[in-house]
Amino acid sequence: MRATENQGSFLNRISIRRNQVVSMEGNHEQELDDLEIFQKHVADRFSNLLSSSSSSPEESAATAATSSDSLLSIAWLRKLLDTFLCCEAEFKALLIIGREPSQVSKPPLDRLVPELLDRVVKALDVCNAVTHGVDAVRHCQKLAEIAVSALGQRPIGDGQVRRAKKALNSLIAAMAIEDRDGSAGSKGTERAWSFGRRGSSAAGASGSNKDQATAQFRSMWWGMAKGWSAAKQVQAMSANLVAPRGNESSGLAHPVYIMSTVVVFVMWALVAAIPCQERTGLATHFQVPRQLGWAQPIIGLQDKIAEEWKKKEKKGTAGLLEEMQRLERLGQSLVEFADSFRFPAEAEKLEEVAAQVAELAETCRRMEEGLVPLQQQIREVFHKVVRTRTEVLEVLDQVGKVSSTPTM
Amino acid sequence: MEGLKSANQTQEGKQHIMAAALHLTKALVASDYLPEDMKKIFTDLDTHLSSMAVIAEPKGGLEFSELEQRLKLAEEKVGAWMSNQLMAWDSGHNEASRHFKVIEEIQSLMESLRALTSEYEFGKPMELLRRAESLLQTAMTRLEEELVHVLHQHKQYFEPEYMSFRSCGSDVTFDESFASVEEESPEEASQRNSTGSEPDDHLVDLIQPNVVPHLKSIAKMMFASDYGQEFCQAFVKARKEALDEYWATLGMDTFSIEDVLKMGWKSLNYEMKRWTWIMKIIVLVYLPSEKRLCDQILGDFGSFSPRCFVETSKATMVYLLNFGEAVAMGNHKTEKLFRLLDMYEVLADLLLDIDTLPFEEAGCYVQNEFHELLGKLGDCTRATLVEFRRAITSNTSTTPFAGGSIHPLTKYVMNFIKTLAEYVDTLNVLLKDQDEEEDPNSVFEMHNDIEDGSSSTCSPVAYHLRSITSTLESNLNNRSRLYKDGALQLVFLMNNINYIVQKVKDSKLGPFFGDAWIREHIARVQQQATGFVRISWSSALSLIRSDDGHALPRAIFKERCRAFSFAFEEVYRNQTGWLVPDSKLREDLQISISQRVIHAYRNFTGRNSNDERHIKYTADDLENFLLDLFEGSPRSLQNSRRK
Repeated sequence: MRATENQGSFLNRISIRRNQVVSMEGNHEQELDDLEIFQKHVADRFSNLLSSSSSSPEESAATAATSSDSLLSIAWLRKLLDTFLCCEAEFKALLIIGREPSQVSKPPLDRLVPELLDRVVKALDVCNAVTHGVDAVRHCQKLAEIAVSALGQRPIGDGQVRRAKKALNSLIAAMAIEDRDGSAGSKGTERAWSFGRRGSSAAGASGSNKDQATAQFRSMWWGMAKGWSAAKQVQAMSANLVAPRGNESSGLAHPVYIMSTVVVFVMWALVAAIPCQERTGLATHFQVPRQLGWAQPIIGLQDKIAEEWKKKEKKGTAGLLEEMQRLERLGQSLVEFADSFRFPAEAEKLEEVAAQVAELAETCRRMEEGLVPLQQQIREVFHKVVRTRTEVLEVLDQVGKVSSTPTM
Repeated sequence: MEGLKSANQTQEGKQHIMAAALHLTKALVASDYLPEDMKKIFTDLDTHLSSMAVIAEPKGGLEFSELEQRLKLAEEKVGAWMSNQLMAWDSGHNEASRHFKVIEEIQSLMESLRALTSEYEFGKPMELLRRAESLLQTAMTRLEEELVHVLHQHKQYFEPEYMSFRSCGSDVTFDESFASVEEESPEEASQRNSTGSEPDDHLVDLIQPNVVPHLKSIAKMMFASDYGQEFCQAFVKARKEALDEYWATLGMDTFSIEDVLKMGWKSLNYEMKRWTWIMKIIVLVYLPSEKRLCDQILGDFGSFSPRCFVETSKATMVYLLNFGEAVAMGNHKTEKLFRLLDMYEVLADLLLDIDTLPFEEAGCYVQNEFHELLGKLGDCTRATLVEFRRAITSNTSTTPFAGGSIHPLTKYVMNFIKTLAEYVDTLNVLLKDQDEEEDPNSVFEMHNDIEDGSSSTCSPVAYHLRSITSTLESNLNNRSRLYKDGALQLVFLMNNINYIVQKVKDSKLGPFFGDAWIREHIARVQQQATGFVRISWSSALSLIRSDDGHALPRAIFKERCRAFSFAFEEVYRNQTGWLVPDSKLREDLQISISQRVIHAYRNFTGRNSNDERHIKYTADDLENFLLDLFEGSPRSLQNSRRK
């Protein structure tokens, strides 16, 4: 695991330096250095993400070319989470290791740190929602795999085409319903219905295909409370996120702000990419002041993803995850093929289908490879964040013990 | 039927002719008496005839036409099946097995046709194979519907009767303000014990057992036809819905982590109880039954059974896991301690059962995380215990507790640790590795342990409980200093320490504290009682004590009588207002006062019996007045006399 290694080394280095700081009392230069290094690392890491995501998911999904880590692909999300884990570890080192606890409880940190912890708790719920979302994506992968194995038969006959179509219709209906839950656009609803109808009339003997597919995804239990909304959660996380100004901007207030921004951005990106409960209103993303140097790559990514989201809203497609977009595009195209299929198919058409099936198979392979580690990584983020929260609370608790003298 | 037969015969006839032609052509090509150009023509003809692929070897041709015949028959049967609205299972066993036979027939047809088509890329065998595949797809789709139908129609739920969830109305409330001093309700204690006895065989039938063989046959058919993925999709979907429904019938709400962290104690208490309850049902009964069902139906298909099991149950288990995480992340308020211990105990008990479920096998992180959760719940419990002691220490006051009676803190703490002792095994595990450095009484404790020597006094729990009471005692000592009156100070300490000792003696706490501890504390109360009598009565006694045993001069006697009555009234007025709730302790005090004071008074009045009109109270009067002491209602002898 790349992330873990990095973390270890960061922790070591930072903690050694911090001890030096403590021993050389009041060495502000060293402290300033640490803050600058943190900013620089955050900027560098997100720059890497930005440069690796040169092609948009829509562009890359529209081409058969498989650049494996394009924006919002599984591989890219895993990089994003790696980045998050590195920033988190470095931030923790900066905030608490070797530091006098009282520093963390002085204004404005006495307000900023609890606000960060509050955000962090909200992030945990986002992690959980997204973890369930990955299972929903896996479900789509399984349906696509049925189509791949059916259409992989040679020569293609009516039975296999119908088999593939049934699976793909379920897939598309699932995505459309997911989309309805996700963006609640009237287009989404209409789409789900029309796909469903097409599916059911064409599926013939299989009967109420649409209802089945609808029920199938309804039954996907998100494991979240009723009425819980991923979009609202992300909005609440960014609600009181303000860049420190004036005197406040010196010292630890700034890294706390940076970390908050990173948390909010990463959660926002996860919710945009992976299906999860209630995403209406996600497009109104939070503002990061454009003059901040370290924030440029994050703003760049934010703009790119927001643009993708706008396109998505217009088209009513499901989710921004690159692989899901691919499944959707290929699924729709193959269903069209299946609808007009008469044996024997033209050689030219067959070639085209073979290429699409190969791409679908490749996408499934990448999902098979990437989704389980992605889910584990989300869990890792969850646990790391829980641990940091506990450690920060312990520090605050120490301060509280010294200062408070409760009476009955 | 007649027409069909003749059509077949015509078909067969054609095939014979074609076969003969091909045979002849091949023979001509093989011969060497033809000129080259003629040979070329026949070679082309041979290729052409072969590519028509209507004929193989004459034997193959026969076989082929027979296959086509069988396929037609199968098509008719499937057609009839499709037109039947009833599901096979509902139409009876024969109907179902007829359908399975058709599918087997299609499978075997496809196998034969594949063997033939390996020789011919195009043509008739291929066409038949396509027809067979299409027929199979139709049959499989229908079979999938059948599967879903049976799974839904024959699912069963079980009522968790023997582990019914009690509402938490009759709960002992332990709150941070130490205001609630209710004794533990007997139900609470019995409830804990009753949860220990569960039936050995937890497995239930989640699907009516009589349809399980049918489902297994469907699985067999679908897997044999390479429709295993479709089977699993439909199976998991139906089972997941069943679990969701069951979850809803159990009345479970879902909460986000934020919800749990913001939850008020009353709701949280309720939800924590529900968690321990539902964990047992899900892990001990539901999931093992689900696993058995998966194994019964999918056991022959390798990893499909664990995979379907995990896909079905994962979301539920992850929810239970996350609720536990949220609780372990919460604050360490004392009130949570017992619920935390409940959760810890249940999870510790269930880990082995979780391990036998095939999560790991299917690459799911759930199992590991439950192990980690146990550690986190343990940490949280320990932190809560530390917080409890901190709460005792920091529970201070600036005004003395009126009447010198038993302080609510004492009652709270003792009732609390009495309940705590119920969790002895769990606490011993949790406290084993704890640092013992923080306790100031550890030297005394060591000494105590050696003297007593029994294992229960040496256990981590015993150590911890004693250290809690010693924290309490030092708090009480601090509080006693708030009294200006030294006697009242001692009454306060006596009352509270006596309460602690009685609680220890009269409950299961005894073995944790040991006889030495009890003896030592009883002795402390006795010392305090002696000291108390001395402090309260020394000045009064000095008035009536005689060094030489002679009668006093009248004037002095008169003065002493007056002064003694006054002193007695003073003490009486004070100490009737003080409260010693323990009747035994109260009587002991009264007796010991009587022994010292009344006895001396009898001597005093006896020695000066010639001048009785100065004696305001007889010894018997005083004896009776002593009974009014420590009742907690201030009285005055002047008042009572006026009445």
